Amino acid sequence: MRKRIVSVVLAGLMAGMTIMGCGSSSSATADQAPADESATSAGTETSAAATEAADTESGEEVTLKWALWDISSTVYYQPLIDAFEAEHPDIKIEMVDLGSTDYSTVLGTQLSGSGSDFDVVTIKDVPGYMTLVNKGVLTNLNDKISADGIDLSQYGGVTDQVTIDGNLYELPFRSDIWVLFYNKDVFDKAGVSYPTNDMTWERYDEIARSLTDTTAGAEVYGAHYHTWRSTVMLDGILDGQHSAVDGTYDWTKPYYEMVVKEQQDGVCQDYATLKTQGLHYSDAFAQGNVGMMNMGSWFIATLIQKIKDGEYTDCTNWGMVKYPHADGVEPGSTLGTITALSLPTSAPHPDEAWEFIKFVSGEKGAEVMASTGNIPAMTNDDIVNSIASMDGFPQDDTSKDALVTSNVYLEMPANDKSSEIEEVLNNEHDLIMTESESVDEGIQNMNDGVQAILAE
Amino acid sequence: MANTLTAAQKNHRRRILRRNLVAYSFIAPNFIGFAVFTLGPIIAAFVMAFMKWDGNNPAEFVGVQNFLAIFGDDRFISALKNTAIYAVFTVPFTLIIALALAILLNQKIRGRNFFRTVTFFPYVASLVAVAAVWNMLFTPAKGGIVNQVFLHLGLTPLKWAASPKTVLMTIILFSIWKNMGYYMVIYLAGLQGVNGELYEAASLDGANAWQKFCYVTVPQLRPTTFFVTIILTINCFKVYDIVYMLAGGSNGIVNKSAVVLVYYIYEEAFGNWRLGTASAAALVLFAIVLVITLIQFRGEKNFSAD
Repeated sequence: MRKRIVSVVLAGLMAGMTIMGCGSSSSATADQAPADESATSAGTETSAAATEAADTESGEEVTLKWALWDISSTVYYQPLIDAFEAEHPDIKIEMVDLGSTDYSTVLGTQLSGSGSDFDVVTIKDVPGYMTLVNKGVLTNLNDKISADGIDLSQYGGVTDQVTIDGNLYELPFRSDIWVLFYNKDVFDKAGVSYPTNDMTWERYDEIARSLTDTTAGAEVYGAHYHTWRSTVMLDGILDGQHSAVDGTYDWTKPYYEMVVKEQQDGVCQDYATLKTQGLHYSDAFAQGNVGMMNMGSWFIATLIQKIKDGEYTDCTNWGMVKYPHADGVEPGSTLGTITALSLPTSAPHPDEAWEFIKFVSGEKGAEVMASTGNIPAMTNDDIVNSIASMDGFPQDDTSKDALVTSNVYLEMPANDKSSEIEEVLNNEHDLIMTESESVDEGIQNMNDGVQAILAE
Repeated sequence: MANTLTAAQKNHRRRILRRNLVAYSFIAPNFIGFAVFTLGPIIAAFVMAFMKWDGNNPAEFVGVQNFLAIFGDDRFISALKNTAIYAVFTVPFTLIIALALAILLNQKIRGRNFFRTVTFFPYVASLVAVAAVWNMLFTPAKGGIVNQVFLHLGLTPLKWAASPKTVLMTIILFSIWKNMGYYMVIYLAGLQGVNGELYEAASLDGANAWQKFCYVTVPQLRPTTFFVTIILTINCFKVYDIVYMLAGGSNGIVNKSAVVLVYYIYEEAFGNWRLGTASAAALVLFAIVLVITLIQFRGEKNFSAD
């Protein structure tokens, strides 16, 4: 009998070990529950202390921790910090790189409980923003914005799209639009005339096919689509009548069909291969055998920099045009993504952090952003012109004109359930693009999956 | 008599108490660590499975809602199914291959240590690094190295980790290859413990090699096999990293053809911030492993009673 009890206990313990491995969730729970309270109280204490310190002895140096990703490949972090520190000699900024792949997940974990001492966090995308807002770890900026008289209209309406129940929790500093990059050498070689700023998807598909060469070993791909869902699915939202949180996705059908067909015909590289090999879109374009690639305007700065450094030698003769559009849709309609800064509720130095957020998302930050070839959120014609006249920016008028937009739609609108919806859409995108299910099946599964989430 | 203890008795009790305290103090460092980092979280998971919590706002009691939610979730069912398939194929194949390798490398052959090292190497190599190499070898393109070999052999190239039909198979193959070395070492240790006289006696009785294997090696290795089976099964149910590395790819999308229980738990907890459903799923995993382990314990006992 005793032996039996021992063996049952032993078995239980062994099984218990399994919870260990997977139960980071549970360990987090246990550690955090009590820690949470202490965090709040400690947080208020430190913030009070910090305010006091700032008031009484302004000579003391404060170091702010800024959460971000990809320090080495992002050209504007250091210039922004330098400009800010020049203006505020008693505030230093320390960058903390959380990596780009899991950035939103890691940030969410960091801001839970008492583990974080971030003063400023970068918000990468809307689902990540919504998660943090729902968790209640971001400071509502409404009061600060009205107290400092910040004019939100300078952001061209994007802040309205991320205002939740009348409250704004982030200030954008970078605003990207999607354009079509192309390699002029590939066009010249194939004797095809360059794409234009007013192009339908049919015309785009034709051009891509006419550039393609499927000779083994010397392949030329007319088009390239990175593995993100946005590169295919969201081509459909540009008519302004649909969005990624609709619940019905039949409008994505022509785009999935076009790209799957291109993939089968060797017009673009196979999604499955790109996914397993982890080929970065910039490397794909830099290989010099890609005719056109739809990508965000953040790629401009990378291209200019890497060509200047001599790293990219096969795509030096590049250009860009406005996104292709569906029949009857105004040219210049495109996808947009904003990158923003938020103030965590647990920030040890909230006042200094707010100074930094104001600076980066304001006019001076915008100038720094533009000088590095990035489009700031606070944008106007002067800024667009200054980017277009940068050294290394293609000098043809079409490329300069490509940055002028008529309608910009966020890749993912703010919705309570955007991260869950995204999960369903990403899965079906994956299954369609690996040709594991037909386009129709995929769309049916998107409809069913998202409607179930919306009905909850 | 009972109330009036003699000085000698008191002294004796004190000595026992002191001895016990010393013993406890030796156990304490380990036990405190276990209590804080293992026992506490396990108990918390049991509580959390009946709560709704996003990791920050106050938790709220929801009864068995979380369990209903996960069993109504397509993705959880897929995760259960995939984990089961993974375990059913990985456990026996790893076991057989590890045993075969151990017997081979227990012979006095030339370069034995070299081959032992080669077999053990995948186990010590960093998972991320070997998964990257594996992904290059098993790339879904027709030009991939393994697919080229397939083409030359007249076989159809496969899409490996990129296709829902073959992704689990790829993960199972990888897992067997990566872990067989570890279990081989355990079997090797077991084999060295087998008394050589038994083989001698068997030879005298006229047993051939196969009979010696069946009637001497296998029964003598039974405790080792029992240990390996349990550890392997538990590890199979805990699999996560291999799936993320092989099926996640550059965009990190693990679709429902490859999702496993632990990945589902991770996703629920840190992607969707539903720590309640994540804990509920963790409890289901706990229950499955508990049941399997109990069955194995019982089976072992019946077996040794024979």
